[in-house]
Amino acid sequence: MTQKILLTESEFNSDLLNIIDSKSLEEIRIKYFSKKGKISQLFDEFRSLSADEKKLSGKRLNELKSFVQSKLDELKNSFPGSEIKDEKFFDLSLPGREKIIGSKHILIQTLDEIKLIFKGLGFSIHEGPELESDYNNFEALNFPPDHPARDMQDTFFVNKNFLLRTHTSPVQIRLMKAQQPPVRAIMPGKVYRNEAVSAKSYCLFHQVEGLYVDTDVTFAELKGTLIAFARQFFGKDVRYRFRPSFFPFTEPSAEVDIWWQPKDKPGRWLEILGCGMVDPNVLDNVGVDSEKYVGYAFGMGVERIALLKYKIGDIRVFFDNDKRFLTQF
Amino acid sequence: MKVSFNWLKNYINKDDISVDEVVEKLTSSGLEVEEVFEQAKVYKNFIIGYVAEHSKHPNAEKLSLCKVNDGANDFSVVCGAPNVTKGQKVVFAKIGAVVPTNGMEIKKVKIRGQESFGMLCSERELGLSENHDGIIVLGDDTQVGKDFSEFIGYDDFILDINITPNRADAFSHIGVCRDLAALFQTDLILPKNGSKEIIAKATDFASVEIINNDACPRYVAKIVKGVTIKESPDWLKKKLKNIGLRPINNVVDVTNFVLHEIGQPLHAFDLDKLAGNKIVVRYAKENEKFVTLDSKERILTSTDLMICDAEKPVALAGVMGGENSEVTETTKNILIESAYFNPSVIRKTSKRLGLSTDASTRFERGCDPEIVIWAARRAADLIQKLGGGEILSGEIDVYPNEIQKKIINLRNSRIEKIMGVAVPAETSKNILSNLGFTFKQQDGDNFTVEVPTFRPDIDREIDLVEEVARIYGFDKVPLIEKINVTLDEKIDQTAFNDNLRNRLVALGLNEIISNSLLSKDIAEKFGNSVSVLNPQSAEMSNTRPSLLPGMLITISKNLKVREKDLAFYEIGHTFIKKSNEIKSFDDIIEHEHLVIALTGTSNFSEWFQEEKAVDFYDIKGIVKSVLDFIAPKKELKFQKVVTDSDNYEYGEESLSDSDKIVSYGKLKNDTAKLFDVNQNVFIADFDLTLLKDLKRKEKIFNDLLKFPKANRDLAFIFDKNISSKEIIDSIKDNCSELLKNVKLFDIFESESIGKNNISMAFGLEFYSSDRTLTEDEIDKEFWNVIEKIKIKFNAKLRGS
Repeated sequence: MTQKILLTESEFNSDLLNIIDSKSLEEIRIKYFSKKGKISQLFDEFRSLSADEKKLSGKRLNELKSFVQSKLDELKNSFPGSEIKDEKFFDLSLPGREKIIGSKHILIQTLDEIKLIFKGLGFSIHEGPELESDYNNFEALNFPPDHPARDMQDTFFVNKNFLLRTHTSPVQIRLMKAQQPPVRAIMPGKVYRNEAVSAKSYCLFHQVEGLYVDTDVTFAELKGTLIAFARQFFGKDVRYRFRPSFFPFTEPSAEVDIWWQPKDKPGRWLEILGCGMVDPNVLDNVGVDSEKYVGYAFGMGVERIALLKYKIGDIRVFFDNDKRFLTQF
Repeated sequence: MKVSFNWLKNYINKDDISVDEVVEKLTSSGLEVEEVFEQAKVYKNFIIGYVAEHSKHPNAEKLSLCKVNDGANDFSVVCGAPNVTKGQKVVFAKIGAVVPTNGMEIKKVKIRGQESFGMLCSERELGLSENHDGIIVLGDDTQVGKDFSEFIGYDDFILDINITPNRADAFSHIGVCRDLAALFQTDLILPKNGSKEIIAKATDFASVEIINNDACPRYVAKIVKGVTIKESPDWLKKKLKNIGLRPINNVVDVTNFVLHEIGQPLHAFDLDKLAGNKIVVRYAKENEKFVTLDSKERILTSTDLMICDAEKPVALAGVMGGENSEVTETTKNILIESAYFNPSVIRKTSKRLGLSTDASTRFERGCDPEIVIWAARRAADLIQKLGGGEILSGEIDVYPNEIQKKIINLRNSRIEKIMGVAVPAETSKNILSNLGFTFKQQDGDNFTVEVPTFRPDIDREIDLVEEVARIYGFDKVPLIEKINVTLDEKIDQTAFNDNLRNRLVALGLNEIISNSLLSKDIAEKFGNSVSVLNPQSAEMSNTRPSLLPGMLITISKNLKVREKDLAFYEIGHTFIKKSNEIKSFDDIIEHEHLVIALTGTSNFSEWFQEEKAVDFYDIKGIVKSVLDFIAPKKELKFQKVVTDSDNYEYGEESLSDSDKIVSYGKLKNDTAKLFDVNQNVFIADFDLTLLKDLKRKEKIFNDLLKFPKANRDLAFIFDKNISSKEIIDSIKDNCSELLKNVKLFDIFESESIGKNNISMAFGLEFYSSDRTLTEDEIDKEFWNVIEKIKIKFNAKLRGS
C-alpha cells in the first residue's frame, strides 16, 4: 500500500508539470478525484486492508489526499478564466525584491567603449605580455640607447634585458613580426611607469595602442580615424587640434588635444592621445619594407579619458577598489 | 623653457604680431606653449592719477580726503599716507584692482563716514620695494591716465614652451624665432657685433688643449681684458628677471643672456685664476673631488668631463663652473668659454650627479658646433659695452675634426605619400630654407638638402617630411570622409574575457583592478615572484605571482571602511619565475588568471528574506556557472585540495598535468589574517591562459522535446559519511538512458532519523525523444533503482 501511495505522489508531481491551463487542470483533477480516480481507488483499497495495515498507511494516505487537493487549489487561482478570488489588502509600497547585479570596473567599461568604436572601423584587437624585453619595448621602437625614457627613473627593470612594459607599443612589434601588412589592430593593456603614486599618477595604467600599416596609409587617414573616434566618444561637436610632437617610434608625431569646457571654470586644451606615422626604422626593424609600406600608430591612456569623462579627480580611486566606488558604475 | 614675447620680437622681421598669434602658431607647429603669463594683468586697474583736491578727513586726524583724476573723471579717495598733497602724480588703484602683494581687491568702502573709490599706492603695495613710508609720487611730466604697467614697462608676455627632446635647436629665443620666421614667412634677424678688437691676439695670451676629442669636439676661448665687474644695466636685469633668472653681475648676466638668446651655453672664467693661462679638457680621474659654483663638493668618475687649467680642474664641463675660478668683484681679465661637448657625456654626468642646469639641458640635447665663435664674440662685445675693457683679437679655436654637415635627399612626392596632402615643391623649399636648410641640387621635385649644424635631429628624408609638414600645418591636412576596410578575418583576443565578464557581472560580482606590484614579503608567500630592480618603494618591489594577495588587500581596505559584504572578481596577469635568472621569456610564466572572492553575507535581511552568510556552496555554484560558460569539451574533474600546501582550509581543484586549472574553497584563516581580514573568505582561482587553450563544446541546438517528461521523487535516510555525489552516480548507473536528470532537492537532519543519519531527497527526470513513456516502464526503473540504493548504501526509503 505504501508503495502505491509513494508512486501516486510521484506520478502526481510529474502530472503537475503538465498543467498549463484550466482545462488540463480539470483533466488532472478528474484523474485523481473522480469516482474512479487514483485517490478514490486508493481509498477503496484502503477499506479492504487489515487493521494493522490500515494503521501503517492511513496517515500517509490522508496526507497525500490533502497534498494533491491543496496543489490543485493553488493552481486554480493562476489561470485566467478560472474563478477570481478577491485580492486581500496588501502594501504596494513595500520595496520590490531586487536582484544583486555586479559591475565591470569603470576602466574596463571605458575600454569597452573604445574597443567598440575601433572594431567598427575595421580594427582587430590583440594583446601582449606585460613583462617585456628591452628590445621590444625600446630598441625595436627606435629608442636610442641613451634615450631619457630608458632611464631607471621611468622604467621598472627586472634585469638588463627585461622590464615591465612602459607602453603597449611593443605589441606592435610582436604583431608586425608575426604578420606582413596589411595590419590594422588596437592593442589594449596594462603598462607600468616608475612614478611616485599621487592623485595624478599611478605606477600602472591602461593604454590602448593602435596600428595600421598598408601601402596607402596616410596622416590624413590617421587624422580622419582619430577624429571619428573623438566624435563618437566625446560627442559630435568635440573641438580638437593636432599638434606636432615627438615620439621615437613615429615621425611625424602629433598629440591630439580636445577642448575641455567645465561648467564653472575656464575651458582649456587637454591632451588625450599621442600618434604619428610609424617611423621607417621601426618598420625596418620588423622586416617590413618602409619604402613600400606606410603606417600610422596611436596610443591613449584609458585612465586619463575615464577621469575626464566621469569627472574623477584622483587616479588612485581606480585602484583602491572601494565597493562604494565600484558600485557607482 | 620660458621665453619673453618682447625679447622674441627683436629677432623677427615683423612688427605687427600679437602674442595670441605667436602662441597659436608655435603650438600648432610643434613648440607647445603650455602657459602664457601676462605681466600687465598684475597691474590691471592701476593707473597714473592726479591729486586734484586734498583736504583733511573730517572725522580722522591722520587721514586725508582727495579727489583723484584718472584723466577723465574725478574719484573721492580716502588716503592715510602722510606725504599726499594736491598736485601730485600718483599710482591710483581703481575699483577692481587687486593689490599684487596681498591679493586684496579694491572695493568702494566707507572710511569714518567718507566714501572712498580706490587707493593711492606705496612701493610696498605694488611689490616694487619694501618702502611703505608713503605713496609713490611720480614726476610732474608723467602722463595722467596711463596704465601703470605700461608706465614701468611691465608689459611683457612670458611664454612657457614645452621643448620636445628632438628640438635642441629651439632652446633659445633665436631658435624659437627661426620657427616663427618660417611660419610667418619672414626673415630672422641676427644681432650684429660692433665692438672693435685690439691688435693683441687671444692666441698669444692663453692656450687650449683638448685631451679627449670625442667628449669635446670643439673648444673656443675669447679673452676680454680690463673689465669692470658691476651690476648690469636695467634692460639686461629686466630681461633675465622676466624669464626667471637672477641677475648677478654684468659678465655672468651677459653669458646667461647669450645662452637664452642663441642657445649656446657660455662660461666666463677669471683668467687670472687660471694657472698657466691654460685650458685643458680631459676626463676626471676616478674619485677626483671638485667644488662647483653652488659650493658643493662633487666626487667625480672617469666619465665626467673636466675643464682644467695647467694645474687643477676649474669647471665641470657643460654642467657647472667651479668656485675656484669664478668671476668676482675683483676680476679684471676674462676668458669666455664657448664649446661644443658630446651630448651623451654631459647627459651622463648631469644624470649621475642629479645636477641639471640651463647649460647641461642644452648640451645634452646637442648644441650647434658652428655657433660657438659667434656666441663668444657676441658675449665679448656685450661685456665690453657694459664693463669696458679691451677685446683681444681673434679667438683660440681648437676644432681638430670638423663636424660634417649632413646631406639628405628629399623626394617631394614622399610628403604626399606620408601625409596625404600634396605640398607644392616650391612651398617645401621655402619652408626648409626659412628653417635654415640649404639646397645643393634639384632634379625635378627631388632635392638635395644640406642640414644646418643646429639640427642634430635631422638625419633622414622622413625628418625633412616632418619639418615641411609641421610648418605647412597639420590643420591643412584634409579630413578624409571614408576609409578602406579589409575583409580579412578580424581577430579579437579580448572577446573571451569580455564575454566572461558579462557572466561574472550577471552573477552579481563587482570587478576590481588591483596593483600588480606587491611587497616582496607578501609576493613570496604566494609563489616564486619576480623582483623589480628599481622599485618605487618596498611595498611595490615584486610582481604578483597570484591575484590572491591583491584581492585580499582589496577586501581588507573595504573592511576598514565598513563594507563587509563583498563579491569581487579580478582578471589580470600573474608572473612566476621559473629559474633564478631571467634570460628569456621561457624563464617566466606570465598567465592570465581570474580570481573570485566572496565574504560576508549574500542575502541581506529584507522583509521577504533572512540574512545568510556566504558559504562554500556559494563559491561552488559560481564556479559551476563560470565553467558552464567556458564549457570545456572534456568536463573538468575535481579533487579535494591538499590543504597543507595551499591557501585553502578546504576546497577542490582541477588539474591538468601538474598545472592547476581551477581551484576553489575556503581561504585559510591564517592567510586572511595576514591581511587583517577576520571573516570567512571563499575564493576561486581560474587559470584563464590554460582554460582558453582547452577545446570548448560546440554550441549545437538540441531539439525541443515533443513528448512529456515524467518525474519521480525519492527520499532515503543514509549514513552521514555517504556523499551526495556517490548516490547520484549510483542512481545514474542503475537506470537506463531514459533517466536524463537527477536533482538533489532536499536535505534533512534530525534526532528523529538518528544522529548519524541524513535524509536526502532526489528528483528523477525521465524522458525519451522519440515516444511517450508508459507509466509501467517508468515505475520499473524507479523500483529497480530504489532497491539498488537501499542495498548499496544500506539506506532506508523514507515514508515506508
